[in-house]
Amino acid sequence: MLQRLYVHNFRCLENFELKTKAMPSALLIGKNGSGKSTVAAALKIFQSIGRGINRVGQLVEFKDFAHGRTDVPMRFEIEVMLAGSVYHYVLALELPENFKELRVLEEQLLVSGKPVFSRREARVTVPRSAQGGEAQFFVDWHLVALPVIQEQSETDPLHIFKTWLARTVILAPIPSLMDGNSSGETLRPEWNGSNLGEWFSGLLGRYPAAYTTIAEYLREVIPDIAEFRNDPTGKDAKSMNVHFAANAARLVVNFDDLSDGEKCFFLCAVVLAANKAYGPLFCFWDEPDNYLSLSEVGHFILSLRRSFQNGGQIIVTSHNDEAIRKFAEENTWVLDRKSHLEPTLIKLLEDIPVSGDLINALICGDITL
Amino acid sequence: MSVNKHKPHLLVLPEDDPNRQMADGFALDLNCNYRAIQVLREAGGWVKVVDIFKSDYLPGMRQFPERRMVLLMDFDGKPEDRKSFVAREIPEDIKNRVFVLGVSSEPENLRNATDKKYEEIGTALAEDCAENRQGFWMHDLLKHNEPELNRLIEDVRPFLFK
Repeated sequence: MLQRLYVHNFRCLENFELKTKAMPSALLIGKNGSGKSTVAAALKIFQSIGRGINRVGQLVEFKDFAHGRTDVPMRFEIEVMLAGSVYHYVLALELPENFKELRVLEEQLLVSGKPVFSRREARVTVPRSAQGGEAQFFVDWHLVALPVIQEQSETDPLHIFKTWLARTVILAPIPSLMDGNSSGETLRPEWNGSNLGEWFSGLLGRYPAAYTTIAEYLREVIPDIAEFRNDPTGKDAKSMNVHFAANAARLVVNFDDLSDGEKCFFLCAVVLAANKAYGPLFCFWDEPDNYLSLSEVGHFILSLRRSFQNGGQIIVTSHNDEAIRKFAEENTWVLDRKSHLEPTLIKLLEDIPVSGDLINALICGDITL
Repeated sequence: MSVNKHKPHLLVLPEDDPNRQMADGFALDLNCNYRAIQVLREAGGWVKVVDIFKSDYLPGMRQFPERRMVLLMDFDGKPEDRKSFVAREIPEDIKNRVFVLGVSSEPENLRNATDKKYEEIGTALAEDCAENRQGFWMHDLLKHNEPELNRLIEDVRPFLFK
């Protein structure tokens, strides 16, 4: 479970801290441009590192420095509770004068306060507890070390942490890109849902029991669904087809021809099944209420919150009053920014005096930090 | 999908945001069939709960016999007076499917007295319902609900709890 995210000098996030300890689900609200999606962008950097991308230039760009302020390091910190231990990962990037690409200034992974490795510029230090000494080696300034340090086993903290990072689910789905076709398997969904077919195949390939979770959820939201199949269309290629049945009549619809909202139901079903099958997962879903009818939003949010209640964690953003009403003041974070020249501010809703109805206050733009 | 209006379901009309959070906490409990419960928008005062119930939901209550409704309000220290008043506003033909519940004073007092968040209170109340125990419902600020709660539980248990 994510306990703390700290970001400094990255886009609109300056000295920004999000604390989500003991929050299985949380909501981020705020006006357009307040920084909600930038939080997702920061999380995506960690996810990318976990998935093996280690070239700094592929993670951040010059323009990501807040106000182009390159004389101050860009800093990312994440604290995660995994199997009873706190993992604290720090990455600081800088752009020295005359450099064309950012480089790593500082990098460190601590588990329960003990360093797994630490790094200053190119020099990486790995403690050798058995011998009591330490090993040192050098890594290219422009490469993040975490993906390249060798793991000893599946119980190695490096493996545990990298796997958790790689499996984080960060979503801002675009249904028109979700066609249900796949040419392989993965457990690493893309943010826009474009590889849902591969994720679906990967999930069912490794965890066949996940079909039951997916089917149960889909039958709740689409009562006339009979079954869904991942039919082969060629060598290693598959396409999802959905079978509907009512009054002895049947209809087969290709996934690509489902409505945008129905595609989101499938995505939600896979998120719920993945969390159950190989979780606990961390999921960040930017505006999950998009594409849903008003009658669906509340139960959609509740289904996500309930699923992550006993394991994993979900953070969502929303502008939808029905979605916002499914959270409470102690798990709703308000983000605010006075102007494009000022950084994002963040506060828990329970710490903000709101007179009267929250939604009316949001509509009137009365909630400021 | 939204609640199936042709199958047994429960609408909750909360007076205000604390009551809404408690109702959502109730639906978050994993024992609760959350697809059979719909928490409606806050009315904005107990008088408005009654007004909105009569203006917006009375026709639906008559049209859909499987619909139940909870009017969730504060009793501001006068539970019996308020319950009598509200009861007079509920038409006889649907009275058996309408339930009036709430904190005897205000939810803030319950939160302070129990040191629980509103959602947690709702979840605790749902757990007690699922386990068929009085538990949290016997708190000083809630125990006045007992007769109405018993009537509600008897009616909704078959579809609201596993």
